[in-house]
Amino acid sequence: MSSTVAPRRAGQKDRRGPTPAREALRSLPWLLPTLVLIVCVVLYPAGLMIYTSFFKYNNKGILRKPDPIGLDNYIGPAGALTFPGVPIGRILLNTVVWVAVVVLGTLILSLLLAQFLNLPFRGRKLLRLFVILPWACSVVMTATVFRYGLQDKVGLFNRLLVDTGILETARAWTKDPTSAFWVAVFVAIYVSLPFTTYTILAGLQAVPTDVREAAHVDGAGTWARYWHIVLPLLRPAIAVAALINIINVFNSLPILRILQETPGYHTGHITTTLMYEYQTSLGPGVSSALSVLNFLFCLVIIGIYLAVVQPTKEVA
Amino acid sequence: MKRAIKLGAVALISALALSACGGGGGDQQGSTPASSEDPAALETTIKILAPSYSDSSKADWDAITAKFNETYPKVKVELQIEGWETFADKVQARIQAGDLPDILNDNAFSSSADAGLLYRMDELLSKETLDAIEPTLLDNGKMPDGTLYATPDIASARLLAYNKDLFEKAGIAEPPKTWADLEDASQKLAALGDDIRGYGMPLGKEEAQVESSLWLWGAGGDWADGENLKADSDAAVEAFTQMKKMYESGYTQANLEDNRQGTTDLFSAGKLGMVIGHGQVVSDATAKGINVGLAPVPSKSGEGVAIGVTDFILAFDNKDAARKQATAAYLELFYSDELYVPWYKGTTLLPVTKSAIEKGIAEADEYNKAFLDALTLVKFQPVSNPQWDALQAALKASAYKVGSEDPKTLLEQIQAQVVAQS
Repeated sequence: MSSTVAPRRAGQKDRRGPTPAREALRSLPWLLPTLVLIVCVVLYPAGLMIYTSFFKYNNKGILRKPDPIGLDNYIGPAGALTFPGVPIGRILLNTVVWVAVVVLGTLILSLLLAQFLNLPFRGRKLLRLFVILPWACSVVMTATVFRYGLQDKVGLFNRLLVDTGILETARAWTKDPTSAFWVAVFVAIYVSLPFTTYTILAGLQAVPTDVREAAHVDGAGTWARYWHIVLPLLRPAIAVAALINIINVFNSLPILRILQETPGYHTGHITTTLMYEYQTSLGPGVSSALSVLNFLFCLVIIGIYLAVVQPTKEVA
Repeated sequence: MKRAIKLGAVALISALALSACGGGGGDQQGSTPASSEDPAALETTIKILAPSYSDSSKADWDAITAKFNETYPKVKVELQIEGWETFADKVQARIQAGDLPDILNDNAFSSSADAGLLYRMDELLSKETLDAIEPTLLDNGKMPDGTLYATPDIASARLLAYNKDLFEKAGIAEPPKTWADLEDASQKLAALGDDIRGYGMPLGKEEAQVESSLWLWGAGGDWADGENLKADSDAAVEAFTQMKKMYESGYTQANLEDNRQGTTDLFSAGKLGMVIGHGQVVSDATAKGINVGLAPVPSKSGEGVAIGVTDFILAFDNKDAARKQATAAYLELFYSDELYVPWYKGTTLLPVTKSAIEKGIAEADEYNKAFLDALTLVKFQPVSNPQWDALQAALKASAYKVGSEDPKTLLEQIQAQVVAQS
């Protein structure tokens, strides 16, 4: 914004005309708060993380050697990728499944929900309010409710499943790595729905009715109208929702942390929760190393997304 | 040649003398301003990090602080109480943030001592105070070289707690002594139906190391292998094989990754016949109306074992003479009979000072007497070995897998994790 305003003002008050350098200088006061924020909360911690990943710490977080130890924290005997007993292949696969299933599931359900909420009907406002509720609750709280609900002895969800005859006996859902993982997927979709639905709903409201009517007059069926008119117009909204969800879901620690009751290096981890596990048992060096890898992994996923979907074409 | 040796000796001795003087001088500088000061004028803040032993833990510490502030009115004492389940994480967070607690009440000290973060306790506490602590318990706070870096503040002995009513119902005459007895009793208990299981085996994050140690000792083994710790000894494999057998026969609770509280709850609800427990487990269960009996833990040979656990006071070196003085004074006060006795009673565990133990035995009820008596047959975990932290963490993270994996492979993996970290 400042860049479009600055030249005009410069033209009025200053006859020498703007050069790129002067323009950058002028915009600095407006950019400074953001730049300071980015340097302090993104660049500095990221740099510190990379630095830490090259030093040896014990599990109490005490530096054990003053000199860097090369790639030991990555691939040494107690390295992030090579520590004995860690099913690393399975965990990497889990991470991809986690991101893909949660984001795709959320998007598909949100498209349906948004379409429904866009229809005129009595009580629409109230229903829209209910849809946004999971977003108003903290993720930790929601995940805790599910954890208690799925508890094998006193859990209400278990009780419901048994009483309705869906299950024979109650299950300790959150104590088995695999079932806990899928419960977490469910909860993650549940908490991601409100934001995504609202983003798409806003997109839907921006679809001009005359375009749809014109298509209708030309003889396009409901499905053809949705596929060829509405969906392409929703592309910017879906692109934003998908990108934000990918980043959010990838880094989502609380849901899996709370719903996985199995200790140690089990087969229900994703790299983000494994990082936390390393932090307590191997210390910040190894944990940082995995964090660096995680960061690169996240970049790759987003890179693939950008290359395949090219969402910025319409956004920019 | 002779002259050279003489010269060398003289040089060495004078060097030693000089450095000794230097060291002494330094100490003098460190302690003189502090000790000469009037306690009422000492103004500083000391920080305490302690676990929650019971609901009264905060009040118990506050009582000591109140007394301390009578003599040191200007010393502010900041107390942080945290639950056991995440206590190691909190300690780690404080150390990493450089916010070292002056006084830490914890169950491990070797890695902090190894890193040179701690005061020697004989530097802080008077000889009388140290002498008042039961020597066998005090030895747990010594590093392998004999330096005292931690003093025990609480002990607990763990025995086999069993539900007398269930035993009677199942027709079990006396508590099991051997592993075979244990299987037999478990089978009879499981036959009662109603979801009752024989033996609680909590291999979750909280207690896996205690449970594993007891089974290992029951098999006649030990973690120590010379100077190193060894997780995959033959005895350990035998112990884990027996644990797996208990689980697979359906004698244990359904989820091996339960914490101590999980099995205590089951025991208190009358759903478990036997658990390994300390005073709190017994008092929880009796409060729910369970008729509890105590016996040594069964072993392969039938010779009873019991585990002793001591928690410690550690004092971190914050490079501040005033804080050091306040910390020393606080700890002296902490171990005084007048304040220590109500404090330890609040934890519902066992005392560590000779006088408190004697007094405890004299006025103990049936259960406390059993635990206090057991202090003579207990074995301790190798807490002062720097490798113990790694072994303990590995056990906490993986021991529960014995239910689904091959014991030998699992123990080799645990051993590999320990070796990878050393």
